[in-house]
Amino acid sequence: MSIEAPERVDAPPATDRLATARGARLATSDLLLYAVLIAASLGVALGLAAALLTATGHDAGAAFSEMWDGSFGSRSAFFTTLNHTAPILVVAIGACVAGRAGLINIGFEGQFLIGGLAAVAIATKVGGSSFVVLPLMFVAAIIGGALWAGIAAVLRYTRGISEVLSTLLLNFLAFQFVTWMLDRQYLLQGPIYPGAPKSDLRVESAMIPTKAQMPFLSEGSDYILQYAVLFAVVIALVAAFAIARTRWGFELRLTGLNPRAARRFGVSAALVGGTALIISGGLAGFAGAAFLSGIAYRVTPGFASNYGWEGLLAGFVADFRPMLAIPVALLYGAVRAGGGLLTATGVSTNLVGVIQALIVIAVTLPALYMRRRARRRELQTVERA
Amino acid sequence: MMVEDAGPLLEIVGVTKHFGAVTACDHVSLEVVPGEVRGLLGQNGAGKTTLMNVVAGVVVADEGEVRVAGTAVPPGDPVAAALAGVGIVHQHFSLIPPLTVWENVTLGERGRMNSRRAVRTVEEIGERYGLSIDPHARVAQLTPGERQRVEVIKCLSKDPRVVILDEPTSVLTQAESRRLFEVLRALVHEEGRAVVLISHRLEEILEATDRVTVMRDGQVITTIPTASATASLLANEMLGREVSLSSEGAAVGAAVDAGHAAASDAIPTPRADGRVAVVEIEGAVVLGADGRRLLDGFDLEVRRGEILGVAGVEGNGQQALVELMSGLAELAAGSVCVDGEEISKSRRARLRRVGVIPADRHESGCVLAMSVMENLVLGCLEHAANYGVLSPRRMADRAATLLDQYDVKAANVQAPMWSLSGGNQQRVVLARELSRSPSVLVAAQPTRGLDVGAMEDMWQRLRTVAAQGTAVLLISTELDEIMALADRVAVIQKGRLVGTMARDEVDTERLALLMGGRAA
Repeated sequence: MSIEAPERVDAPPATDRLATARGARLATSDLLLYAVLIAASLGVALGLAAALLTATGHDAGAAFSEMWDGSFGSRSAFFTTLNHTAPILVVAIGACVAGRAGLINIGFEGQFLIGGLAAVAIATKVGGSSFVVLPLMFVAAIIGGALWAGIAAVLRYTRGISEVLSTLLLNFLAFQFVTWMLDRQYLLQGPIYPGAPKSDLRVESAMIPTKAQMPFLSEGSDYILQYAVLFAVVIALVAAFAIARTRWGFELRLTGLNPRAARRFGVSAALVGGTALIISGGLAGFAGAAFLSGIAYRVTPGFASNYGWEGLLAGFVADFRPMLAIPVALLYGAVRAGGGLLTATGVSTNLVGVIQALIVIAVTLPALYMRRRARRRELQTVERA
Repeated sequence: MMVEDAGPLLEIVGVTKHFGAVTACDHVSLEVVPGEVRGLLGQNGAGKTTLMNVVAGVVVADEGEVRVAGTAVPPGDPVAAALAGVGIVHQHFSLIPPLTVWENVTLGERGRMNSRRAVRTVEEIGERYGLSIDPHARVAQLTPGERQRVEVIKCLSKDPRVVILDEPTSVLTQAESRRLFEVLRALVHEEGRAVVLISHRLEEILEATDRVTVMRDGQVITTIPTASATASLLANEMLGREVSLSSEGAAVGAAVDAGHAAASDAIPTPRADGRVAVVEIEGAVVLGADGRRLLDGFDLEVRRGEILGVAGVEGNGQQALVELMSGLAELAAGSVCVDGEEISKSRRARLRRVGVIPADRHESGCVLAMSVMENLVLGCLEHAANYGVLSPRRMADRAATLLDQYDVKAANVQAPMWSLSGGNQQRVVLARELSRSPSVLVAAQPTRGLDVGAMEDMWQRLRTVAAQGTAVLLISTELDEIMALADRVAVIQKGRLVGTMARDEVDTERLALLMGGRAA
């Protein structure tokens, strides 16, 4: 593999500058068209899903109504949707931060997993009350995710290795590392239940103690609402403000939109971009801790269960804007919640997976189209001038 | 040994091409006979490259016709032009670096790829013309001179009757250039082909051509046998005798007109002699990505209140000089001081003391996707931030003031930068750079792509800036612009300063000679 000289990273040749201006945004006037495209695309996806359901002997209308009942149909269903939305939204905000700096972090799945691992280590190995253990879990998870993304940042800004590649590969590394940690009794492997015999050990952590379990924001006979939902919304609001209205956000956007100009005006791409990657990894780690302490209660190698990927997609579909990420993440959360109920009514998990994927793709395709369109227009602007 | 009676090989008849309001070629007619190396000489923008792009079918002419050996070539069809026998070696390399030499040579051919035949072609052509090169070498590993050789081989492998070379020597050393000219001579004198050599270097036109055609402002000025031409004669034809230095000088003196009088009255105009040096560049060396010395021991001094014009043929280190002043290029040796402070080491000193209007404003001068008011605080965020939080109100106020002061026409301060016209974008860049009150303003091609009105306005503003005591470093390949603005003229050639003269000492002839690489 050839390695570029470090200074080439933030100083691409002039002809490459449009290709590197990955921080470009859609024009506000395009957002209406975008909404229409998403609606049309969703229609097509639902049509395909209906055809699939019918062909496999199900009643498509009933299935859709199940999905609706499972996601928005009742207070309990809506809260389930919100609980699923929270980790997706937190990861999506991380994607926004990196994306605005022109960086594509596709390692959220791994950073989420590492965050969960760090949190479960604190939860199972550190004593003390909830007031000590819970904050420590979140801090450890943020640091874990940040360090994992930090490896990609160091590789990019010292050796010129694309963060797309390194973050992707770090996902596999995270999976192997966590599997190894969960397969050693002297490390984090735990019994399925207290006092279980050795033959019952699996590759998973122990259940976290009650003191490490997050209390619920709201709780009733048939519903729960996670604190993570509140955290996620606050994080989105803070990120939106920071990107739009702070000096840090300005330099972040400048780096993403025109790295050459950023360098000329004294903004260090390594500092701004590296920080952005580390923050995005920290947020994914945070989401991992929230998922552990609120829902999962134990870590397995499959712990991240695609929250990282869906968060990345949500950020991308939201054009890397934190406020738009809220409804997009909500839609993805609803697909998860609705799919859950559909499975419970006897449709096979595989078919439900396909339907969920169709809906996710339906929302992503218009995003790809819109970005190509924006890129083309920018090229034309430059050529015209 | 031109074969005059054989009839022309290449005929260009009344070709006219407009780009918007600009007439690149204005009823150009030209005949090239077999066995001739024809020089096509002219300043940047004289229409040489456009004309040859018409011939090659890359650009469709508005009027006129191109014939090769008496047969009209269908316009706008590069394949047809190539089949008719037109081969072009472009100014900028069109090779693909990761591929090998023979792979590059076969690019664009149709049918099944035959590696053995392609390798043999490269070797044969190399042997016949002394262009030896390893067919299996990767282009990325070749020097610029060797890449040029591959370009020529690629062109010759299609067996063209007319070979057009567009500024072929801009990347070559002198020895490599001489080698290339020998090849050209062999092509025409021994094989009866025709060569058109586009250049604005007088020296090589005199050395390599049989006849020379001079173009200026899209028109053919004259065609003369090279044997009867001299460097000074060609320089005058190229620049036009009507360049009147005295009247331009008067314009500079009258720069501080009523419109800007108020501002300049407050500050005494430091136009006397013995002015302080603001910029001192000594022995600056800047290396390109391929290790070439873009600036090679460059020295320069710009004084307070003067406009120093750096003239030179494009590609002689001007861009490296601007990047050095912008903090975009690393200094490999030497020093760059502004107000006695080394700016290549201190980011803050550079941002405070150096304003830059880059040649390509979209590249590092502005951010198209950001709003006008955001573009106006680049590099001076302290004007818009309290404890790290931006104040949109302060940004908007500042923008409104600057837009008014610099007559920028924008829908509002939040309009995206891309929605502005080129002239208005350029004024936004100027406004921002000057709002920081720099000690030196570096203006690179400040009027490129602007219409006449916007150009006049930019000139006027640069004069005013200098009159107020700022040192102005004007870097331009347009001699008219240098003549109209500069108090002193420096000439850059191959990354070095080859001469400096005061405006009243300038004669265009000597200037053109220096730019063309001839000591005078």
